[in-house]
Amino acid sequence: MTNSRRDIFKFAGGAVAGALFTPAPWRLITDTALWSENWPGIPRPARGEIRAKFTNCALCPAGCAVRARCVGEQPVSLAGVHGGLCPFGLTGHHLPYHPARLKQGPIEEAKAAVRKRAPDGIAILDLNPGRTVSWTYRRAMASLQGLYLAPESQPVAYDLSAAKTVLSIGAPLLDGWGTPANVNAARQNFRLIQAEAVESRTAVLADEWIPLAPGTERAFAQEILGALQGERTSVVARELTADGSSFVLGDAPEIPEINRLLGAYGKIIVAPSEAPVPEPWKKSAAAITRLADVPDHSIGVLLIDESNAASYIPWHFIEPKLTGDNPLVVTFAATRGGYARHAQYALPIAVYPELTDDIAPAVDSIHPTFRISVPLVAPVVTPPAGLANPADFVGALAGVPASNALRERADAIHKSAEGAIVTYADGKETPVKDLTADAFWKSLNQGARWDRPPGLSSLVPAASRSTLRPAEPIESSADLPLIAIREPHNPALVSPLMTKLYQESGLRLAPNRVALNPDDARAAHVPNGARAVLQTRIGRCSVEVTVDPAVPPGAVQVGGSPGIQDVCGPAARVKVVPA
Amino acid sequence: MTLRGTIVFSIGVLAALGAGWAGFPRVIYQTHRQPVDFSHQIHADKAGSKCDDCHAFRADGTFAGVPTLDKCSGCHAAAMGSTVAEKNFIERFVTPQREPEWLVYARQPENVYFSHITHVKRANLKCERCHGNQGTSNTLPPFQQDRISGYSRDIWGHAGRPAMTMDACVACHRQSHLEHSCLDCHK
Ligand code: SF4
Repeated sequence: MTNSRRDIFKFAGGAVAGALFTPAPWRLITDTALWSENWPGIPRPARGEIRAKFTNCALCPAGCAVRARCVGEQPVSLAGVHGGLCPFGLTGHHLPYHPARLKQGPIEEAKAAVRKRAPDGIAILDLNPGRTVSWTYRRAMASLQGLYLAPESQPVAYDLSAAKTVLSIGAPLLDGWGTPANVNAARQNFRLIQAEAVESRTAVLADEWIPLAPGTERAFAQEILGALQGERTSVVARELTADGSSFVLGDAPEIPEINRLLGAYGKIIVAPSEAPVPEPWKKSAAAITRLADVPDHSIGVLLIDESNAASYIPWHFIEPKLTGDNPLVVTFAATRGGYARHAQYALPIAVYPELTDDIAPAVDSIHPTFRISVPLVAPVVTPPAGLANPADFVGALAGVPASNALRERADAIHKSAEGAIVTYADGKETPVKDLTADAFWKSLNQGARWDRPPGLSSLVPAASRSTLRPAEPIESSADLPLIAIREPHNPALVSPLMTKLYQESGLRLAPNRVALNPDDARAAHVPNGARAVLQTRIGRCSVEVTVDPAVPPGAVQVGGSPGIQDVCGPAARVKVVPA
Repeated sequence: MTLRGTIVFSIGVLAALGAGWAGFPRVIYQTHRQPVDFSHQIHADKAGSKCDDCHAFRADGTFAGVPTLDKCSGCHAAAMGSTVAEKNFIERFVTPQREPEWLVYARQPENVYFSHITHVKRANLKCERCHGNQGTSNTLPPFQQDRISGYSRDIWGHAGRPAMTMDACVACHRQSHLEHSCLDCHK
């Protein structure tokens, strides 16, 4: 019997039909999917023992306690210990691998350039003041006769638990303003009135939302102030005075005076008390200076520490302070998106959770606290590219030793023998006086937190003070028809996963986007998703457009990217034109 | 189709069935032996051990998984019985302080988050619900590793058999009305 070609096809057909009734094809399909998990380029944590490590999130001054689930040495998920983490903190372990991360910079060359120019009008701008490294900077500046600049010269702290009514004029009180766990715990006890032009996330959760016309926040604050001074009547002002325990939050320059009239200073708004600091540091530290108080054209060398910056000061406030004659700007940054655009040297720094740094007290922390953000991973950027250590860099310029500063601070706290340390692994609270200095230091390096009870804190009434920056004059202009409403400040690096989620869900405006009312978008000829140019009196900036009926007509909601902030302050008049 | 054609087609079907059911598993799975000839049954019966005596939760709530040598050598620093398996274990691992490289049947992909403590303490699930009768077996089954995916064959169960597949997890969560979102497990 001879086999024909037709027989071979029949046999093959039978084999294919038969194979469908075996596990082979189905197993191979599943295996192929699983195999694709192992492609090169897909991050795969090393296999290893599953353990929990504790640290404190350094992305903002809330400094939430973090429990990291680690496989081997690699954190694979982060969770809060008391009260959860915000979405930025939840994805913090992605940040060292961020594609936009600054990975190299001429550290030695920058050092030589600064040495050549210093101390010729040297200053350091610390955008995350209140840390131990801030004391290193202050000591270095005192030694170099330079200036230590911070967004606020006399910061204040808010005791939300003492408030019965809070009027927030555009402040993101429930959206990253303080420590999420504190704010949520205090929230049940105060009535929140949110006055702003858009129904923000805070407005949605407030007891009352007062929709303001875009750009009238300051006028609203003036109205409240007038009512408190007895010049006019206002329902909101009456409500604020009725319960005797209220305060106002916001950027308007009238707000400190309103709070003074409400009697909030010393009761709700207090001087933040700091964890103990070694005495010699205090004696040799430069004063804290506000950028606004620096004479124009006086800074020849400006060093900027952007690590986990709590705020961004637009470049148009900084530039006039620099000498006209070739000023030198060196920034320590995690990305190229911030001041690196204006600096001669942008030096890469460690990012959370690979950096070791203590966390400045949060705006709603009224008693001294000390916690260290303990590294969960070894630095991802390693020599020869290398990372700059801003404390060592600045300390070396002035001969101020910086490498042991955290330990010295911990020893000073231990010496005070006050307060207690909370260790998260076992949830225990141990009085400091029961620990040796080494045991105290060891606990801090395991993510523990030191607190001094509120009873011992010094609730010094703070004087009425002006805001961070002088309020920008309200412009009136027909050629710039829209008024900007700014989104809250975001961390410089955000996990790509977060970016994807909030851009797809529309929950948060991406930093480089602007949102327009459909009528304004139509008038400006910019469709949803189009690239456009945001134009202000100060400059222009490239943006992407979101058309959103929730934005009131005549306003444009702008993302918080440094590029946008550089050209556009809150309530600035703007125009959006097609790119 | 002619009779001859039908026969040829049927031979093809039979050949594929044979290869698929008998030959394919031999090719796709590589069989490894566990480093120690371990009997859960002896530990449960003679030593009265319970699952969580060795597979314990740490103080912080994390699951310690397969015990490390420290735990074993707590009892087996010297031989407790006269079995060859115990003698081998002491000679090969306890005396040289060498950690046995256990092959974990239940290993899950990296993108899966699973909390033992939530399932055991909060949902009161018995270990057997997912791990089958492993705890009463006299020998450890051979570890059959899929050559392509790298996972153990044992976790790929089907209905009625202990399984730790995503389908099994979803089915159980659905049954208990606890199916919330993908992020429950894929964090
Ligand atoms: S609120 Fe701040 S500290 Fe807390 S998790 Fe979010 S970014 Fe981190």
